[in-house]
Amino acid sequence: MYPLFEWHGVGNGMLMAIIATYHILPCHLATGAFWITYFMERKAYQENDMDMLDFLKKYSLLVLIFCFVTGSLTGAGIWYAATVISPRAISGLIHNYVWGWATEWVFFLIEIVTIYTYYYTFEKISPKAHMRIGLIYAMSAWFSMVIITGILGFMLTPGKWVQTGGFFDGFFNPSYWPQLFVRTAFMFVVGGAYAAIVASFMKNPDVKEKAMKVAAKWGLGGLVVGGVFTIWYFAKIPAVSRTIIFNDLGFTQTMFKIAIVAGVLLFIYFVIWGLKRARTASPITAIIAMLILFVGICAGETMREMARRPYLIPHYMLSNQMIDHDMKAKGVTSEVAKFDKTGVLPAYYFAPDSVKKINESNFMAAGRILTKLECISCHTLETSGFLSIPRLMVGFGAKTPSEVHDFLDALGDYDYMPPFVGTETEKRAMAAYIASLVDPNQKIDPAWVVAGK
Amino acid sequence: MELAHVLNGLRDPMGVPFYPWFFQVLMVLTFALHIIFVNLAIGGTFMAFYEHYKKGEYNKKLSGFLARSSTVNLSAAVVLGVAPLLFVQVIYDPFWYVSTVLSAWWAVGFLIFVTVAFLALYAFYLKRKGEAMKGFGFFGVASFVLLLLAAFVMNLISVQFLEPEKWKAWYLTGTMMNTSGTTIYDFRISRYLHYIVASFAITGVFMMLYGWFFSKREDMDKDYLHWVASSGAKLALWSTVVAMIVGVWWLLSVPSKLNFVSNPFLIIGVLLGVVFLIVLILAQKEPEKYAMWSALFAFVAVLGMSTAREVLRMVYLGKFNYSIYTYKLNLNLGSTALFLLTFIMGIIVMAYPLAVAWKLGRYGKTNEEGA
Ligand code: HEC
Repeated sequence: MYPLFEWHGVGNGMLMAIIATYHILPCHLATGAFWITYFMERKAYQENDMDMLDFLKKYSLLVLIFCFVTGSLTGAGIWYAATVISPRAISGLIHNYVWGWATEWVFFLIEIVTIYTYYYTFEKISPKAHMRIGLIYAMSAWFSMVIITGILGFMLTPGKWVQTGGFFDGFFNPSYWPQLFVRTAFMFVVGGAYAAIVASFMKNPDVKEKAMKVAAKWGLGGLVVGGVFTIWYFAKIPAVSRTIIFNDLGFTQTMFKIAIVAGVLLFIYFVIWGLKRARTASPITAIIAMLILFVGICAGETMREMARRPYLIPHYMLSNQMIDHDMKAKGVTSEVAKFDKTGVLPAYYFAPDSVKKINESNFMAAGRILTKLECISCHTLETSGFLSIPRLMVGFGAKTPSEVHDFLDALGDYDYMPPFVGTETEKRAMAAYIASLVDPNQKIDPAWVVAGK
Repeated sequence: MELAHVLNGLRDPMGVPFYPWFFQVLMVLTFALHIIFVNLAIGGTFMAFYEHYKKGEYNKKLSGFLARSSTVNLSAAVVLGVAPLLFVQVIYDPFWYVSTVLSAWWAVGFLIFVTVAFLALYAFYLKRKGEAMKGFGFFGVASFVLLLLAAFVMNLISVQFLEPEKWKAWYLTGTMMNTSGTTIYDFRISRYLHYIVASFAITGVFMMLYGWFFSKREDMDKDYLHWVASSGAKLALWSTVVAMIVGVWWLLSVPSKLNFVSNPFLIIGVLLGVVFLIVLILAQKEPEKYAMWSALFAFVAVLGMSTAREVLRMVYLGKFNYSIYTYKLNLNLGSTALFLLTFIMGIIVMAYPLAVAWKLGRYGKTNEEGA
């Protein structure tokens, strides 16, 4: 196990959430926008519409800067954030899927070469060649989604991988196809919303109406098809994930409602401004529609992330970065089973040697280290921030060491939290430390921690 | 616990899906490509605002070209950087992760620095034209400073990486773990400057290439192109000299008991640097003629030095009995083939847009098909 990083008072989950939110819009636009650009460019050449070409040129610069470049930087940002929060999980993903990421990288290379060539050769090479380059970009962007979907799906539904550890067993997992179809359908919704923005800026009302209608058709089609596939997708994820999303957590239920509302609002937008009032559609409503879409996607991605609890790598590595599974195919044995017998602290190189054996003078320090190891990937230990443990403990009604101890005993009964890992003495040390966070003034009996009575 | 045991224990229990040497080769190769574009971005950004603040029509024109090309080079550096970042985590995971987590905010900051640097560079490129816009030079300067900062983060991560014997003492104060992620534990200025100064050598070669590449174009000013190529040749030559002096300074900081000075890989790396220097000396008179040669030898020298860098890493970590070649192997041929086939396909696909761009740039036009 590695050293720990902690965003005091705010929460590690927040760091992830912030960067992921910044990533979502550019990365979806970078995949969705170019299909529309390609389509519109073809129309522009057919109808010899120079205004439209000027527009596309301007907008492909925006896609280039804000989507492709910030998309790849924030994508790397997610990787870095996950690295500092859960290095072992990233390590596990990489050691399984290194060739998957490397394959993805090949598509990034194609994307960067084509998007720059596309932008800098606008109206300088034959329309046919230019459109071909745009199409290569759109296709390789979609292919990078084909790859990433395999890995994202694996993280929720690993399928046979749990036994075999095989690359393709995890890649073509039970939720792979539904998720790929959902993502592809919504890619066109994003493209449609983007095209609506482009169209809304157009001066010539005839061109505008035409472009708006195209945008609306792509958007509506994507929404309907994507909606149907989403139902299929929910049917394919594990029952426990559905329980977490729809029953356990109020938070994810809210997210679900937000996603539904966003979808309905977009539908209305495309019908009214895309089909009925296309001539008078304004950029402001188009941008608002894009923002609504953004909120909807964020809600959907958040649900998918929550549904993975309490695992970082499903049925293999818990959120506390400990392995709880024997994977015979790869010669891995469960650490949790071992730590429950011989203790977490003796196995943690980065713990001070003085706490490896718990006694009456070091139990607080031991408890602090254990709590950080097992809880900070989701909680803060301060009273502020994302899912603060002292606050949640008060809400739960546990205050004394023995009450907290009882809570830790039952930790594994929660769908979304990993069980406590470690020996009984370690559990009491953690309980003592957490109790001291809830009420710093209470007296804690060292003999109870060490001997259990 | 013995450190070798600890380091091996930190490795991923699932092992690697293909032979470690293969990842190592890919890592060195992609690192060399990555660092060339990093050099171009850093050197190019500096020269862009430097020329921007100088008087003269040529300087302004060159500034514009460098600003534009640096945006492209910076994004290429980002995309190319993904590969070595991936491969280093496959074979050196214990070192990379500990070093990164210990200075977590700096690692996250790295991406913020690069992102803001990119946006500032774009602002500079788009707005710099005209007297009234002179103030936008500030954006160029800001971009350069942020890139320097980002490079510094990579320096500290790579240096902390090599010192596993110090990690625990850094992390712990009594029984308190320093989980803040804001601390910088170690860095090496000589090593850092060696990279930064080399940026100007590579950028100089890039300017020579520019002069050569557009030399056939009727619509470009020949005198201007020649001026760029000559300035580039001068810049490359003198930066290489300085980089070599800094290199010696850095070598002195490598512990002498590692015996790295007599390592054949280092000697080859240095010799390749010297060959590059000789080519640059020859190039001073007719920079256009030697542009491609300079580029070729620059690449070979960078590759040689990246290899020496990796060998030095193995020497350092050998002290702790760490060897990547003992990494547990769980061979997975299917996914290896997936990558290799996609890679070959990718090269073929990329050839088309690159050929179009090349022809268009060099001759100012393309045929009907665009290629
Ligand atoms: C995988 C992430 C995760 C980990 C690891 C985790 N928790 Fe939680 N915990 C949650 C979530 C999610 C909730 C639900 C919060 C809510 O209801 O909004 C929660 C709720 C709680 C609650 C309130 C329970 C209730 O019924 O009111 C307590 C107390 C708590 N956690 C303590 C801990 C402690 C102590 C640890 C470390 C041993 C821990 N958690 C580890 C995710 C986690």
